[in-house]
This record gives sequence, structure tokens and C-alpha cells, in this order.
Amino acid sequence: MAVFLITGTLISLLSEAMHRAWARAENAKKRAEAAERELEAANKLLEAQNQEVQRAREDLAHQVEELNATNQELESFTYSVSHDLRAPLRHISGFSKILSEEYGPRLDPAAQRYLERIQEGTRQMGLLVDDLLNLARIGRQEVRRQATGLNSLLEEVVADLKSETDGRQVEWKIGRLPFADCDPALMKQVLANLLSNTLKFTRPREKAVISVTSAANDGETVITVRDNGVGFSMNYADKLFGVFQRLHRPEDFEGTGVGLATVQRIIHKHGGRVWAEAELDKGAAFFFTLSPPNQKRVEARS
Amino acid sequence: MMAQMAEILLVEDSPDDVELTLHSLRQENLANQIAVARDGKEALDFLFRRGAHAQQGLAPGLKLVLLDLKLPKVDGLEVLRQMKNDERTKTIPVVILTSSREERDVVDSYKLGVNSYIQKPVDFEQFRETVKRAGLYWLLINQPPPQGAGTGTDAKP
Repeated sequence: MAVFLITGTLISLLSEAMHRAWARAENAKKRAEAAERELEAANKLLEAQNQEVQRAREDLAHQVEELNATNQELESFTYSVSHDLRAPLRHISGFSKILSEEYGPRLDPAAQRYLERIQEGTRQMGLLVDDLLNLARIGRQEVRRQATGLNSLLEEVVADLKSETDGRQVEWKIGRLPFADCDPALMKQVLANLLSNTLKFTRPREKAVISVTSAANDGETVITVRDNGVGFSMNYADKLFGVFQRLHRPEDFEGTGVGLATVQRIIHKHGGRVWAEAELDKGAAFFFTLSPPNQKRVEARS
Repeated sequence: MMAQMAEILLVEDSPDDVELTLHSLRQENLANQIAVARDGKEALDFLFRRGAHAQQGLAPGLKLVLLDLKLPKVDGLEVLRQMKNDERTKTIPVVILTSSREERDVVDSYKLGVNSYIQKPVDFEQFRETVKRAGLYWLLINQPPPQGAGTGTDAKP
């Protein structure tokens, strides 16, 4: 009897356990199927995303290709400007010069004056072509940054400008300038353009006073170049850095209108800003920002 | 335009530049013994005595080649390359005289062994001064290699 009882209990326990196991297996199977469906969906999504990435990559490669083609076109344009415009200019300059040297005495004064005008026009156009080429070259030139002492750079620039200061009273007030993370050759050009402007526009002054100072502001360096020259009206401040923009008549102050555009392009290539403040007849100040050495370079390049 | 005993070979396609260059050299009495080639092929024919120049001997007295870069048919860099690759012409001084101030032209020229690279100034007075100085320097101041050391007819190929 007892044996039957025990056997009956065992059987019912066993069948219960089997039931539970079966239910668990069923559950697991359902979960596995659900997971498989999810995985399949995720795979599909991934595949779609992969295709999208691939398309974007192809687009990008295409754009890079186009950009390279444009750059190459620009380069060959610059090259042909360099070669093809300079040659006829030299011929005009040359033959008008020979004409005035060899036949000048036989020409009346008006004709001689016209010849001089031709030569002056040629000279001006030569400067323009050279400045434009320079600007184009800076556009595609890589910025080679290194820690650069601005004071020694400035000394070189002032020495180079000696021919323009000879016979003039010029007081240079050069402050202690820091080291900056910049391309020394390009930065020298910025300083040369700004300083040669200060000398140009202080020419009517008995004594030119030109200062170059620096101030730290929010982790960047602000360099200020200030003069006591003829200044300009702030109404035209927005035109200052445009190519060929000039605020003075050529007979008052010579120039091609490319110098400040060049300055702006170089400063922008360094990730900096440039601006000016002035008052008519009361001098001008030009400001630009530079990052100190060892700053995050990515920031400046963006 | 080819002088028999040329001391200078001017390779220049622009007739205006030829005239301005000769005018400048004439003022220093350097224009008498100058040959002019109007494209790269003519320059090579003159230098290596090919084509129209096949019957003449090599130019033994040639002391200077003034070479423009942008030339019809064969460009200046190719003329330079062939000159510097040939035993008979490699010691002749070559001065590039060009409008181009492209960095790669300057670099390429020096890599090929050019002796001097001059950019033609737009301003004629500067141009004249530059051409005169180059002519005087290479013809009167510079010590050329001895005859037969690569420039003459008797050079071993």
C-alpha cells in the first residue's frame, strides 16, 4: 500500500517537474525567437545605416575630388596670370621707356608727359598683379606654425622699412610682445603690411608716432598697431579689408588696395580676428588676435 | 638669327622680349655674338647640331644660355634637362629668365641643375639692369670650364 502511495506521489512530482521544464523550454524558445527577430531587425537597420555611410563617404570623396579640381584650376589660373599678364606689361614698360630715352628730346613736352603716364600706369599694374598673385598664393599656402617671437619679427620688419623712414621723424613705441603660435613668414607679412601702412598714413605728420603693443584677453593675445596718421571715418570700416578697397585718393596715398585683404586672409588662416578703430584725422588702430604657443591647434584651425 | 660664333644663346619665344633683351645687352656691347632660338626645339637643334644646324660644328664658344621656361614645342625645363644630361652641353651655364615666379618652377629648375634662376621684372629699368648684370657676370666675371671639358667638339661623348 505504502509503496503505491509513494509511487503515486513520485509520479505526480515527476510529471509536475516535467511540466515546469517543458513550460520553461517553451518560454526560452519564445524569447529566443523574439531575440532573433530583434537581431534581424537590428541587422537590417545596420545594413541600411552602412549603406547610408557608404553613400555619404562616396559623396564626400566626390566633393574632395571636385575641390581638388577647383584648386588645380585656380592654381593654373594664377600661373597664367603670373606669366601672361606680366609679359605684355613688361613690353609696354620697355618700349615706352626706350621711346622716351631715345626719342624723348625730339618730342614736345606734352608727348613726353604722356609717355611718363604710360610708364606710371604700367608700374601700378605691375604692383597690382604682384599683390594679387601674392594674395592667391597665401590662399592655398599651408600655415606652418611654430612658436614665434613677435619682437624679433617686428625688429626685422622695422629694419626692412628703413628706406621709408629715412629723413623722417618716426617714434617707434614697441612694447614687450609675447611668443605666438604662428607661421613666421606669414606673420612677418602681416606686420610689414600694417607697419608700412602706418608709415604711409603718417606722412603728413611732422612726427610719426607708431606703437605696437600686446594684451592678453581670454586666453588669446591681442596685438595693437596704432599710429597718429590721417585715420579714416568709421563709416567705411567694413570696406577696409576688401580686395581693391581704398579709402584714399591715389594722388594722396599710393597703394593697390590688397595689403589689408592680405592681412585679413593670413589672420583668418591662423584662426584669429582682425579689426580696426579710427577717427578721421586722428590716427588709426589695428587689432588682431593670436593664440599663444601650445594651445589646442585644432581649435584654431577650425 | 643664328650667329656662327655665338657666346650667348637666347631662347625666347616672345619677339618683344627678344628685342628688349638684345637692346639691354647691346648697351653693354654683349649683343654682337648672340644667337636666338624661338622655341625649345630650335634651341636643341642649335645646341646639338640637328635639323637646320646639322652641318655646323658644335658651338665651341658658347658661354651662356638664357632660357625662357614657357616655350612652344619643347618647353624650357625639357631643354634644360637634355642639356644637363648630355656630356657635350652639361657644363654650359644656363640661366632661366622667365616670367614665372612659381615655386615649383624654381625647384624643378634647380633639381635639373640650372645655374641661376631669374624672374623677369615687369619694370623695364629693372629688367634691363637684371639682363645686363647676368650677361656681364656670366661672360666677364665667371670662370668658364676649360675648352674641351664638355663644351667643345672634341669632347668625348
